[in-house]
Amino acid sequence: MNRDVLVIGGGIAGIQASLDLAEMGIKVHLVERLPSIGGRMAQLDKTFPTNDCAL
Amino acid sequence: MDVGRHPNINLLAYSEVEKVEGQAGDFRVTVRKKPRYVDESKCTGCGACAEKCPTVTSDEYNLGLGKAKAIYKYFAQGIPSAYTIDATICRNFQPGKKCGICQKVCQAGAIDYKQEAKIFELSVGAIIAATGYDLFDARRIPEYGYGRIRNVITALEFERFLSASGPTHGHVYRVTDLAAQEALPEMEKVCQKAVKGLERYEKQFSMTSDEFYGRYESGEFKGGNEEYDKWAAAVVAARKATAELEVLQKKVESIESAHRLAFIQCVGSRDIRFNKYCSGFCCMHAIKEAIIAREHDRDAQVYIFGMDIRAVGKGFEEYRNRGAKEAGVHYIRSRVAEITEGKNHTPIIWYEDTKERVVRQMPVDLVILSTACQPSASTRRVAELLGIELNEFGFYKTASYPPLDTTRPGIFICGCAHSPMDIPESVAQASSAAARAAQVLAGSGTMRLAS
Amino acid sequence: MSEHTEKTMKPDVLEARIGVFVCHCGSNIAGYLDCEALTKYAATLPRVVYAKNNLYTCSEAGIAEIKNAIEQRGLTRVVVASCSPRTHMPLFKSACAEAGLNPYLFEMANIRDQCSWVHMQQREGAQEKAMDLIRMAVAKAAFLEPQQDIESSLVRKALVIGGGVAGMSAAIAMADVGIDVVLVEKEAELGGLLRRINRLAPKGEKAEDLVRDLVQLVLSKENLKTMLESEVTGVGGVIGNYEVSIRNGNGLEIQEMVGSIVVATGAVPLQPHGLFGYNGQNVITQIELEEKLRSGELNARNVVMIQCVGARSPERTYCSRVCCLTAVKNALYIKEMHPDAHVHILYRDIQMYGAENEKLLWDARGRGVRFDVYDVGRPPVVKEGAVELYRPLMGEVEEIPCDLVILSTPLVAPENTPALANLMRISIDQNNFFLEAHAKLRPLDFATDGIFLCGTARYPATVCEAQAQGLGAASRAETVLFKEKLVASALISQVTDLCDGCGYCVDLCPYNALSLEEYERDGHIYKRNKVDKMLCKGCGVCAATCPKGGVVVCGFTRNQLQAQVDAALEAM
Repeated sequence: MNRDVLVIGGGIAGIQASLDLAEMGIKVHLVERLPSIGGRMAQLDKTFPTNDCAL
Repeated sequence: MDVGRHPNINLLAYSEVEKVEGQAGDFRVTVRKKPRYVDESKCTGCGACAEKCPTVTSDEYNLGLGKAKAIYKYFAQGIPSAYTIDATICRNFQPGKKCGICQKVCQAGAIDYKQEAKIFELSVGAIIAATGYDLFDARRIPEYGYGRIRNVITALEFERFLSASGPTHGHVYRVTDLAAQEALPEMEKVCQKAVKGLERYEKQFSMTSDEFYGRYESGEFKGGNEEYDKWAAAVVAARKATAELEVLQKKVESIESAHRLAFIQCVGSRDIRFNKYCSGFCCMHAIKEAIIAREHDRDAQVYIFGMDIRAVGKGFEEYRNRGAKEAGVHYIRSRVAEITEGKNHTPIIWYEDTKERVVRQMPVDLVILSTACQPSASTRRVAELLGIELNEFGFYKTASYPPLDTTRPGIFICGCAHSPMDIPESVAQASSAAARAAQVLAGSGTMRLAS
Repeated sequence: MSEHTEKTMKPDVLEARIGVFVCHCGSNIAGYLDCEALTKYAATLPRVVYAKNNLYTCSEAGIAEIKNAIEQRGLTRVVVASCSPRTHMPLFKSACAEAGLNPYLFEMANIRDQCSWVHMQQREGAQEKAMDLIRMAVAKAAFLEPQQDIESSLVRKALVIGGGVAGMSAAIAMADVGIDVVLVEKEAELGGLLRRINRLAPKGEKAEDLVRDLVQLVLSKENLKTMLESEVTGVGGVIGNYEVSIRNGNGLEIQEMVGSIVVATGAVPLQPHGLFGYNGQNVITQIELEEKLRSGELNARNVVMIQCVGARSPERTYCSRVCCLTAVKNALYIKEMHPDAHVHILYRDIQMYGAENEKLLWDARGRGVRFDVYDVGRPPVVKEGAVELYRPLMGEVEEIPCDLVILSTPLVAPENTPALANLMRISIDQNNFFLEAHAKLRPLDFATDGIFLCGTARYPATVCEAQAQGLGAASRAETVLFKEKLVASALISQVTDLCDGCGYCVDLCPYNALSLEEYERDGHIYKRNKVDKMLCKGCGVCAATCPKGGVVVCGFTRNQLQAQVDAALEAM
């Protein structure tokens, strides 16, 4: 059985899935179409209710 | 930050999946890494290249509200921090043109115009597709005037207005006022040039332009020197430019931040013509933006037009109440019929007051459209690549239990590629998909409802 | 630095060889500050033997320069003046370690986030402030002491509290990847609230089928131990090594050691006694309707449903998320059972969020279910055989005849939630739901490491959402349990000889990391404070509280902070 996982999409969901797997010791390949990861959430100024950013 | 540095994460940014073969536990994936024309391992992200780059374009990250260069970083804190050349506009890549400025200024020697796409083969046991969402194109609803009435914008554009890192550094202005502010320096230049152009004649004929023009008008220089006619034309042009500049200056001086803000909910969602479904997060997004707008400007008056205000998450109802109490947000239960443009680019909202059953109109400074969450363009492409089905809404088709399993074993999804949802739900789902992937790697993972 | 301090300095401090690296951060810092001048200034500070500015200290080249300087210039302290320690401290510390310098001998001055970014318009002042920040960091750096990371072993076993859909899903997922799991359920059967539900929205699966399948999976796992009619009675220890006491069905106390805990204790529907004429007969709740639908014994032909009963009100401010969906789903099943039945839903906002749910609303309208908004200031009145609805538009009261009234009540936290939270030293919110570490980014984590949250114990959720969260919590727990060992920062509290065991700090510690212990000296018994190294986060509440310097936080000791303060005041 292969021990790697492919994650497609580097938005908040893809990032979180990748981090969880990586922390479990699983090798993750995270593929993002754009030049940098962050997705939509990187475009948000503040998030309710703690007013801090994601990355 | 953790993602970029985690030893177990192989970050393939600016890349796309091209082919997927095999089955759960043993997929073979082909990935194509597009050329950035910048060596990621050498680029320090210093930005000297973009500073000197002569090719200016609009900034995609700021939704076209700001400016970007042909060599760009998608956003300031982007990971990886390397710059990318947009070959579609960079001079160096246009036939018969040359530039090379960025290569000259790059101290790290990271610019590589000859960089080529790289093809990778990966072996993986499971796949998670988190391809996100796109926003509904508000132009598809002509009666709301987006794209035609300039002071009608989308909620994501408004987010950039509110952001300290955005094009207005967090100040909220009407789009038309912003355009006037931006036009001012250009107009000043034009005016200066026109006035300066008169000096040559004044020297040549030792006369002020005003004196000359008065006499010219009275017919004194008729039929004589051609230069006199040119001078007269230049005086007219300079006077016109000065007058226009004065008008613009006055206008810019009198610009105030936008105080009256109206949010229109369900733009493209809960609408039988476009998307029947509810986009889930837009009500809270509007309330959040309303509250922040009020924090920036105590005089702001905010109206939210919606059919229902859907504040269904943890702490959301309380937040909505806080919006009403502290930020004075007015919630108006109504489906807005039309937006028209009044004098001085003022958008006017036409709506039915469902409590009193009368049609009303409301002029505001800015209209903010809460556009629907739609399956991203990548979703359809990735679904075809992965051989998984979509549902009737165009999102990935999933089982109900467990909720993130696609129609093909070993492939899972999460976040807004599943359906519209807010951030905490996306994060929870992402962990959920990770757990499912781990189950598959462990050789188990059948959790399907038998019936 | 005052002479007094110079004299009392330890040799290690006096002989410190400090290197300072000033980062331009492209134009983020250099665009507003004169980094060359800052570097020259840093070189003049006491004990600084090397100063260098880089375009990007975090780049490979910048890191190489730090390492080279440590090796070639014999640096014993490193200061980087750049961005936030939150993001870049780990990178610089590991650079120090790779060059053979203890990583705790590193200090950072944040001249970007806290200087160039916030003072873009005041360059002169910003330059002075950057000098202050660098001088302070250098002063503190001299007093830094080498430390070792705290490591501990862990038990690869998890406890799941609650055997509903969330808890069972979490337990199955963890068992599947080879983790030993103990699943504790207080009832005699697994399934939780799901056992009372008829069909599942939005797709209509039978709840009993889902329960059966999940229970089968739970029972099929050899490494999953299920304890019914059992309750958790005690939780001690920390992440990696929780000592749990469980009282089983026979009243026996059993001890388990687990590395992680998943809380999936669920929620219960509110019994609306005294509201809208609730009587359990012809005025019932949605969950009671589910039971009638499940057994097929529903005879009513005229049904009125009232939403937000006991919710979105002053005493229970929250929206229970799933009741509108439940009402619409059940309205559709009533229509399916009796197509001629009248169903009328009275609501405030109809909360059919998302794709599939909204579709149900369209379906219900299409099948003739009626919807009306009611005025919260003048809610419907339940009478014998009818419900009175006030219509503000006409200023009239309409009588809706009915033989059954269904009240949609919110899910509320079980009564024992505060007690359970107390046992585990985790937080609850104002509605007694468990409180996650971060509302947006860590919805399934607790602030206490190693404990995770899912399902309706967190907040009302659909069955689908509860299962997703259960699996998600499993993933979060697996990130802990798959580690070989746990590593924590050494920058935590340390008890000094000055501690006299007064205990002021013990109660104030937000992480319950402090306790009093007795010890013997010269034949006398004394008390003193004791720090649990895995629990302590180094927040410093104890050190700030202690009137006698009996407890300090490593990396923020009195002399380190004093040096920093002195350096700051030097500019005055």
